[in-house]
Amino acid sequence: MKDHLEFNALVDYWFDGLAPERERALEQHFFACAHCAGRLDELAALGAGIRAVFRAGALGTVVSRGFVEGLKREGLRLREYRVAPGASVDCTIAAADDFVISRLEAPLAGVERVDLVWSSERGETHTFEDIPFDPAAGEVLFCPPAAKVKTLPAHTDRMRLLAVEAGGARTLGEYTFVHTPG
Amino acid sequence: MQQQRALAPSENDAALAHAVAIGEAGAEAELYRRFAPRVRLYGLRHLRDRHAAADLVQQVMTMTLERLRENQLRDPARLASFILGTCRMVVLDLRRGAARREALLEQYAERDEAVPGAEPRVLEAARLAECLGKLAERERSVLVLSFYADKSADEAGRELGIAAGNVRVIRHRALGKMRGCMGLE
Repeated sequence: MKDHLEFNALVDYWFDGLAPERERALEQHFFACAHCAGRLDELAALGAGIRAVFRAGALGTVVSRGFVEGLKREGLRLREYRVAPGASVDCTIAAADDFVISRLEAPLAGVERVDLVWSSERGETHTFEDIPFDPAAGEVLFCPPAAKVKTLPAHTDRMRLLAVEAGGARTLGEYTFVHTPG
Repeated sequence: MQQQRALAPSENDAALAHAVAIGEAGAEAELYRRFAPRVRLYGLRHLRDRHAAADLVQQVMTMTLERLRENQLRDPARLASFILGTCRMVVLDLRRGAARREALLEQYAERDEAVPGAEPRVLEAARLAECLGKLAERERSVLVLSFYADKSADEAGRELGIAAGNVRVIRHRALGKMRGCMGLE
């Protein structure tokens, strides 16, 4: 078969579905085409791998409220810390916990871009640029890599949310996490 | 006595259907190797559950084999179309209810029987984590919501404050980077 499907077409098919006629044509094609079936298999393998890596707590990322509710419905054990701007929280993670969620409250209405700056007491800093957020939610939900957090000794981390605007960056909130091993 | 030849993976579908019908050595194994992964992918896409996808593979491949062994495939060149049509029919059946699904399972397959050729491909977790770590935060979030929670572009966009069209663009870009980083291109 000469004209193979675009990888992005397979991605759209996998997640969103296509118009019925297009979907039928795409399925007809990949059932008859080893190359395109192979590309779709790659996509499925990537998906299974990403699920496994996240589930193992090996990946930190910004998540949504709906996503966190889904984890709870799945029966996973979550530890959540809701922190107001300028506040500090004592936190931990137990061996039996699946995930820990930092809920950073912030006035997000009207904000176009947000950066999250994480810094440790050892002087390490990492900036997560242009993070996704729901302006109406009034909070940013960060899910750190649980497997790594479980190995950490007592320490203090700080997070800062910045509204990035034309005139520069404006602090939306600073949050302190005083961690004790579980 | 005529010696049986081994079936090459390059045999076309009509030749493969004929080879299964006459009981040629290796033909059924080649049928599984070629089509079981495609049926599994169809199942994952439409049923969103790997166990259900594995059930689908068993049912569809068993039904296909029965049809081929009885030489009842009207147009052997359209073997792929026949298998796809069977997938659609079985998925519709599965959606009609668990009871019907159980009945089909009982009729066509042993539930715990391994299906050769349909094992999912597994990528190295450490490498995947490293590649995910190199993505921009938006890309990582979109991939996690998409793959872990099966969220469509509309749903992920609503929850992350991103337009659905942008979610698609971010997803395409992120997966392009992941394929490059994983050496899949």
